[in-house]
Amino acid sequence: MPERLANRIKERRTELGLTQAELAEKVGVTRKTVNTVENGVFTPSATLAIKLAAALGLSVEQLFWIEP
Amino acid sequence: MDQQLRTIIFFLAGIAAALILVAIFKWRVRKMPMSVAEKAEYLSRRRARMLPFLAVIFLTQQASYFTQSSATAVRAVDTVKISAWLVLSVIIVAALATKGFWLETKEVRELVDDENTRANRLEGMRWGFLFAMGAGVVIYFLTMFEPVSAREAVHITMSAGIVAALVRWGVLERRAHA
Repeated sequence: MPERLANRIKERRTELGLTQAELAEKVGVTRKTVNTVENGVFTPSATLAIKLAAALGLSVEQLFWIEP
Repeated sequence: MDQQLRTIIFFLAGIAAALILVAIFKWRVRKMPMSVAEKAEYLSRRRARMLPFLAVIFLTQQASYFTQSSATAVRAVDTVKISAWLVLSVIIVAALATKGFWLETKEVRELVDDENTRANRLEGMRWGFLFAMGAGVVIYFLTMFEPVSAREAVHITMSAGIVAALVRWGVLERRAHA
């Protein structure tokens, strides 16, 4: 069974009142990339994961976790 | 006029036509006041829409190439068709291998080829490579029964690789934008 990288980006982003486009601009990617990471379609690099976590004020471990 | 010289002239004419189209597109975009992020998003969406169309246009060119008889002498119109196909192939391969949008600013180019796009583009290139190899195997097998000219073999191999790469990249981009 393949493992999946789950995240709470949408939840945290909504808490902070950010749109996907605003978060994307903060981390220097397009909205499309944020959308695919948020929906678990695309696994981000360590660099992007750290940038996303920093932009959302969480640690990487709080933002991402592995789901069996 | 010498056939080789004519081919070179048609090839250059094709490049000039492509540059004119790019200039028109750039002029249209310049009229829209947009931030770097908005422009990258606009171009990214436009690319996602265009990739499948580009694959169709590319495929239709193959149809016109293979409907001409190889037994007859090459006419000027055939030289134009082949030159157009060659120019389009070079542009598509260059766009696949680099970030594309060569006339945009560095910031826009970086953003429009962000992490997800890069992954999709590389996946498209992987498919292109596999399909080109597959086409090579099929042609090699076919030559045991039917003679295939070197030009036809190269044409089919390149076309299979380019179309597969375009379609795969297009599908992934459209899915990402959904």
